[in-house]
Amino acid sequence: MNFQGYGAPAAVGYGSGFPGQQQQDPLYGYFAAVAGHDGQISAEELQTCLTQANFSGGYRPFNLETCRLMISMLDRDMSCSMGFNEFKELWAVLSGWKQHFMSIDRDMSGTVDSQEMNLAVSSMGYRLSPQTMSCIIKRFSSNGKISFDDYVACCVKLRSLTDLFSKRNQVQQGMAAFQYDDFIQCTMSI
Amino acid sequence: MAYHNQYRPPHFNNAPPDQSFLWNIFQRVDKDRSGAISDTELQQALSNGTWTPFNPVTVRSIISMFDRENKGGVSFNEFAGVWKYITDWQNIFRTYDRDNSGFIDKNELKQALTGFGYRLSDQFYNTLIEKFDRQKRSQVAFDDFIQCCIVLQRLTDVFRRYDTDQDGWIQVSYEQYLSMVFNVV
Repeated sequence: MNFQGYGAPAAVGYGSGFPGQQQQDPLYGYFAAVAGHDGQISAEELQTCLTQANFSGGYRPFNLETCRLMISMLDRDMSCSMGFNEFKELWAVLSGWKQHFMSIDRDMSGTVDSQEMNLAVSSMGYRLSPQTMSCIIKRFSSNGKISFDDYVACCVKLRSLTDLFSKRNQVQQGMAAFQYDDFIQCTMSI
Repeated sequence: MAYHNQYRPPHFNNAPPDQSFLWNIFQRVDKDRSGAISDTELQQALSNGTWTPFNPVTVRSIISMFDRENKGGVSFNEFAGVWKYITDWQNIFRTYDRDNSGFIDKNELKQALTGFGYRLSDQFYNTLIEKFDRQKRSQVAFDDFIQCCIVLQRLTDVFRRYDTDQDGWIQVSYEQYLSMVFNVV
């Protein structure tokens, strides 16, 4: 695969600081191009939007399942779609993860190995045991390699699961209680 | 409640299928005559009623369920299990696809899962369909229906392992929770 190198989305100066009106936000153009009248985007539309905005830069565009995950991470009303404000929030989070991934993918191959992944996850602030880390890495790698898309999927899930856990009844320090029906529903909602 | 009754597809057919019948099928499916049916070969042999390839994730789940030697395929002795598993699911699907549309819509899915003993909110069924429906018709095809049930069952199994007193509640640490979930979804 040829990578043209990393870059911010072509011709868009994200972070140029347009306060106020949505319409003047450079991101809004990409969003509006795919959102319908309801101002919400679905997983497919998110995929199109991120691809058109060249978010992945030299990396392969996101697969649909990862887009679905990203929507559910921010989907507070369980509508399975995302509005512009959530989209902006997502963009900011994704940009951070992308910087992170790029800093670790030194050879710009588009993938990182499990050791690098270990580093990436712990530098995001997660303090996890080697067993948990190897379970996570196994889940997201193919042939020992983790692509940018898998990496994003992993970050999204970690973040969603962590939020979920911290909201559950804290029965004692570091432990949460789950009732069965609730466990099934909240875990599957991610 | 699904939790307290170990869910298994009900037995529709008590008589095991004829060995030569199974062998004929096996040979036809094992196109490269390797002696084992691979993911690809099984995928090609199965239909989900939509003229699109059978869900590869479901194929993988089924093969790994019956592949006792972790060889990445099923041999003839393992194939009887695969055949029965799929036949049982076909029967279940037909039972719950009440309007015979070839798809299970939200209401039919509700009836199926409630029938299996799950207690899930109405809103959650929207999430399930969004998550598993690969045809984007807001209904689930045969392969996606199986996949949905497999994942629910796996979550139930992992929950049960931690619920030692079987009261429907578990207490887990953050890392235990992450490991439980990452092994399943």
